[in-house]
Amino acid sequence: MLLPRIFAPVRASSVNASISIVSSSRVLDAFRAANASTSPSLSFIRHATHQAQGRANGAKDGPGKRLGAKKSGGEYVIPGNIIFRQRGTAWFPGENCKFGRDHCIFATESGYVRYYRDPFKHPKRQYIGVALQKDETLPYPRNAARKRRLNMVAVERDAEPDTVEGQIVVADLQVGDGTGSETSVRATPRDKPERNLVMGKGYAYREANWQIGRAAERANVRVQEFVPGDRWAAWRKSQARKSANAERKRLRTSQKAAKPKAKKR
Amino acid sequence: MAMASVKPSIRQFSACLGCVRRTASGNGAPRRLLSSSAAAREELQTHHPTPPPPPPPAAATSAPMKDEASSKRTPEYMQKWGDLDPNLVEWKRDERRLVRREGVQPVGSRRRRAVLRRSTMRQTEQIPFEQLPYQCFQEARKFLLEDRQEKLTEIETQTLRIKNLMAQDPAVSGGALAKEARLRSMRNHLHGLIILADINDPVVKKKFEDGQGDMNKPIYRYLADQKWRKYKRLVLEQRISQLNIVPDLLPALDPIADADLAFGRKKVSPGEFVDSAISEKMPRLSVQTFEQGEKLVTVVVVDADVPVPDKDSFTYRCHFIASNVPISPSQTSIPLQRIDQEDKKTENEAARKIAVPWLPPWAHKGAPYHRLAVFVLEQSEAKALDVLDIKKTKRNSFILRSFVDSHKLKPIGVALFRTKWDESMAGVMERAGLKDQVDVEFKRKRVEPLPYKRRTERMR
Repeated sequence: MLLPRIFAPVRASSVNASISIVSSSRVLDAFRAANASTSPSLSFIRHATHQAQGRANGAKDGPGKRLGAKKSGGEYVIPGNIIFRQRGTAWFPGENCKFGRDHCIFATESGYVRYYRDPFKHPKRQYIGVALQKDETLPYPRNAARKRRLNMVAVERDAEPDTVEGQIVVADLQVGDGTGSETSVRATPRDKPERNLVMGKGYAYREANWQIGRAAERANVRVQEFVPGDRWAAWRKSQARKSANAERKRLRTSQKAAKPKAKKR
Repeated sequence: MAMASVKPSIRQFSACLGCVRRTASGNGAPRRLLSSSAAAREELQTHHPTPPPPPPPAAATSAPMKDEASSKRTPEYMQKWGDLDPNLVEWKRDERRLVRREGVQPVGSRRRRAVLRRSTMRQTEQIPFEQLPYQCFQEARKFLLEDRQEKLTEIETQTLRIKNLMAQDPAVSGGALAKEARLRSMRNHLHGLIILADINDPVVKKKFEDGQGDMNKPIYRYLADQKWRKYKRLVLEQRISQLNIVPDLLPALDPIADADLAFGRKKVSPGEFVDSAISEKMPRLSVQTFEQGEKLVTVVVVDADVPVPDKDSFTYRCHFIASNVPISPSQTSIPLQRIDQEDKKTENEAARKIAVPWLPPWAHKGAPYHRLAVFVLEQSEAKALDVLDIKKTKRNSFILRSFVDSHKLKPIGVALFRTKWDESMAGVMERAGLKDQVDVEFKRKRVEPLPYKRRTERMR
């Protein structure tokens, strides 16, 4: 942009020196002389080689992440309260505390926050813990029994859910619609379209997932529980599958065998 | 040798099996008689004057006799399995049958058993281990024997030195304490030499690997200890720290004995969940010590997680105490059920061993799992404890630390298991006389949220 103005004196000098061809050194001299005479301050120009504006140098100061202590020492916390937010592990979880997924430290017991060091556990780390009583200090003595809270109440025991009269048990072995009756799992939801429908993610009105999951319960059908490691059931199941496959194959081959016969005639 | 005990008729052959093999194979006798256990062949190496081979007809007659005797005990379908030799069984099925019928574990690796079996089938000549015709092997053996001789002379000098020091006046050797310390270090050195003398012996190694090592000998104890420390003890240590046994029940614990726990035939690895129906009866405990001599131990079973809803905390409960149980490196089994039966027979209450009878481990429904620790506590100087005194200990809020301190016990081994509510727990609790506890269920307490704080001007 500035070039025309800079070279203006040169142009002027070259014009002054008529149209005669001069050597390069003399051109430079003329250039210098002309420059000095017209603007002594602008002896040399430096172009921008690096983008100065925009995001060229990286954002220097983003929004704050609100890190740091959320609860101070001695403050009362309940389970789940976040005590400290951090990037990395400046602080480690001590007694009755745990790391969150972003290294934030949260309480697992209700109690009083303590910031402390535990050289026996680790010589360099600083810990955040929750003392169960207000007057206790952390760390607890190393060989003493741990202090723990039950956090449970004793109530009368619920009666175990028994199999209801007339409940159909769908065995593990049965393939497909095992019941074969009108109370089969697949049939029920379609029969009753008047269930309360809600708008799902795809903007379609549908039953909520938990309602779909309860379909068997509504139809009074119970699926036999899967017992891991039950080789007897696994063997029966695989035998049933194999025999079903064999049966299917037999049918297929008989059909194939039947066809050419028909053609021959 | 378990094999010999099962088949007493072949005992006489063990003296010189090489001879028997040649003669008997020619005779067409049953294959079982041609077998040679590893131990038998080692005897052959040591005892040079071999007795003359027994006449083959005796072998032929003795075999059916043995079969008759065994037929009384074993069912018919088991007899169809034929002869099973722990040294020669090759197939997995045969191994299983051997364990089931004879109650004997197969010896050594399956590969070795297969090789032995092939060689017996082909009737190849058995060369004694020491005479194997490999030059390098023989040179190496020579070298090892030299080293052993060196160690033996060192042992001699060391024993002599110890004897001299013991005879010395304590004033000369710098006080009684200094003398004791010096003697201790010298004995340690001697013990190390004894181990070093035998550790390179291939026969010792083989015997140990076949499980035929004599635990009364220091070298086998040493090898067993090393093996235990390489895997089982590491697992145990990990479980002790993971389950917080160490700060909760005892301030410190350094297991020096291998304690195995089993309920009937069900073995329990450290910290495993045990079904309440299984743990209703007393367990079997086998404690392998690696130190010389007999010990008297006290076995204590503690539950470390007994909920106390009133105090919102936990306490301990004692499930079992048996005192004055003798164990030694060769006597590892502590069959608690049998001890219980013997106790019932003994009239004298002070001579009984079980101070606090077995209470089956139980847990309320919904309560967090209970850690149960079976501690093997060594009694100091193998002195018997007063069972009547121990009988007074209360089951509830039993503190193991104070029990250990007051009776001067030293924990040497521990076995762990866990229990929680399961289907059979209600029945177990009813039978244990805890019917009132069956209908108690634990549910989580609601956590009261912190009161909502209005954001004030100062907080902003």
